[in-house]
Amino acid sequence: MIPLDAASSSPWHFWGYFLDHRSQDLGYLWDHTWLSVVPVVVGLLLALPLGWLSRRYNWVYPPMMSITGLLYTIPSIALFVLIPPLLGLDPLSPLQVPIALSVYSVALLVRVVADGLGAVSPETLQAATAIGFKPLGRFFRVELPIAVPVITAGLRVAIVANVSIVTVAGTIGFDNLGRLFDEGFKLSTDTPYYPPIILGIILCVLLALVLDGLVLLVNRLLTPWRRAVPT
Amino acid sequence: MRTKLVALAAAATALTMGLSGCGSDSSSNSGSSSKGGTISSQMIFGGPPEFKTRTDGIPGLEKNYGVTFGKYTVTDTGGPVTVNALKRGQVDAVDLFTTDPAIKANDFVILEDPKANFAAQNIVPIVSKDKATAGVKTVLNGIQAKLTDDGLGTLIGQVQNDKKDPADVAKGWLTENGLDTTGTGAKGVTLTVGSANFPENVILAEIYAGALTAQGATVKTKLNIGSREKYYPALKAGSLDLFPEYTGTILQYIDKTATATSSDDVYAALGKALPANLVALDQAEAQDSDAVVVTKETADKYKLKTIADLAKKN
Repeated sequence: MIPLDAASSSPWHFWGYFLDHRSQDLGYLWDHTWLSVVPVVVGLLLALPLGWLSRRYNWVYPPMMSITGLLYTIPSIALFVLIPPLLGLDPLSPLQVPIALSVYSVALLVRVVADGLGAVSPETLQAATAIGFKPLGRFFRVELPIAVPVITAGLRVAIVANVSIVTVAGTIGFDNLGRLFDEGFKLSTDTPYYPPIILGIILCVLLALVLDGLVLLVNRLLTPWRRAVPT
Repeated sequence: MRTKLVALAAAATALTMGLSGCGSDSSSNSGSSSKGGTISSQMIFGGPPEFKTRTDGIPGLEKNYGVTFGKYTVTDTGGPVTVNALKRGQVDAVDLFTTDPAIKANDFVILEDPKANFAAQNIVPIVSKDKATAGVKTVLNGIQAKLTDDGLGTLIGQVQNDKKDPADVAKGWLTENGLDTTGTGAKGVTLTVGSANFPENVILAEIYAGALTAQGATVKTKLNIGSREKYYPALKAGSLDLFPEYTGTILQYIDKTATATSSDDVYAALGKALPANLVALDQAEAQDSDAVVVTKETADKYKLKTIADLAKKN
């Protein structure tokens, strides 16, 4: 191993910090990854029926948007702390973080699902019905695929937002990249100690970029027709 | 009820003092002796939010020493915010922990507490009763017997100043004290060790975990858990089995009306106050208690030695 001055607090020492705590940091990165991805998947699965409902019955749309919009205004740290007593979970259960983030993901995604489905033109729907699609088949094979680009736009926002909100949970003791910020802050007596903080920021940004890229890739795979017809 | 009233009254006085303090502070710093102000009434105190209302916090300082501060500024719990605020003169006196290496590093002065406003805070491992086998007790009490104030200060310094890993620091301490001997004393016991969110507590948890592992126990760690409100229920419910605690604070947390202040009294009261499924093992000589801390310049300027000196007329 390269001998490094462990006490160096120069911001550029983040690489040395990473080498010194490699297994721990990679563990945080993995925790951060699943904490960012799983809630978006859960959120999407919940947002699909809710979004469909808001489209199918027009009177549902306004209250649904108000309620899910309000959910997003709950401060994340309050939600992390509130969930265990509300659901009767162990106070240290790591589940409270993904549950809270799923709530935020639903809040973001219901609107884009509803609006995405709303963007499908009535002519397309009539044509689909005319060639024999039953309502359920029409939803999954016509409406949803057409709505994919709009939903993807929402997914990108949700997943990147999650990467940032997860760090908040790091300050109350859950393992993820947020722990690096807490660590840097705690060791900043006398002089600021930057390495873990810079490392945390870099890893968060990289993770957000990679996840965002993956969502785009999935979007591309799910909408081959968009490439077939150049616009 | 009464404590509430006292707290309320203290807050009210603090508020009025704050208002008058603001006025006099900016106009003249030294010439206010004619108004009969005390030294503390011209000072800004910095500490964690709960220190303002805690029995041994601002209300205790007023009751025991007649000290009221001009203004209370919320900082953090003995962390970097508090240290830097004192260093830069944003506050004049602060609540810090006695083991904090920043006190020595910055030439801060701990004001003596002759009336024992702050209760004893000896380090004590709290364990679930069903995990406290004879072997586990021997290992942990062996550690407790070797924990001293100076030793602890050195360990914290290694983490906070030299940026070493708490786990490595703990390992080094165990080796140094001959406590890392492998054996089968704690074999067959499975434990989860928790720690609060500050370096000293993490080091202590790592020390416990390291020694127990060496003695054959299966140990999991859950370190850096936020506040006591969060980890104590987990300890009580059994999802944590072992936690490094401080006799005074944990007693105060379980029993708000506790009045014991000396090490032995606090320890005895804690034994009674703990729920049936938790036990306190031996308390260490090492303490980490709250203290009123000022800079050397402030101490010299007003000739401060004890907290009582703050109530003197300027």
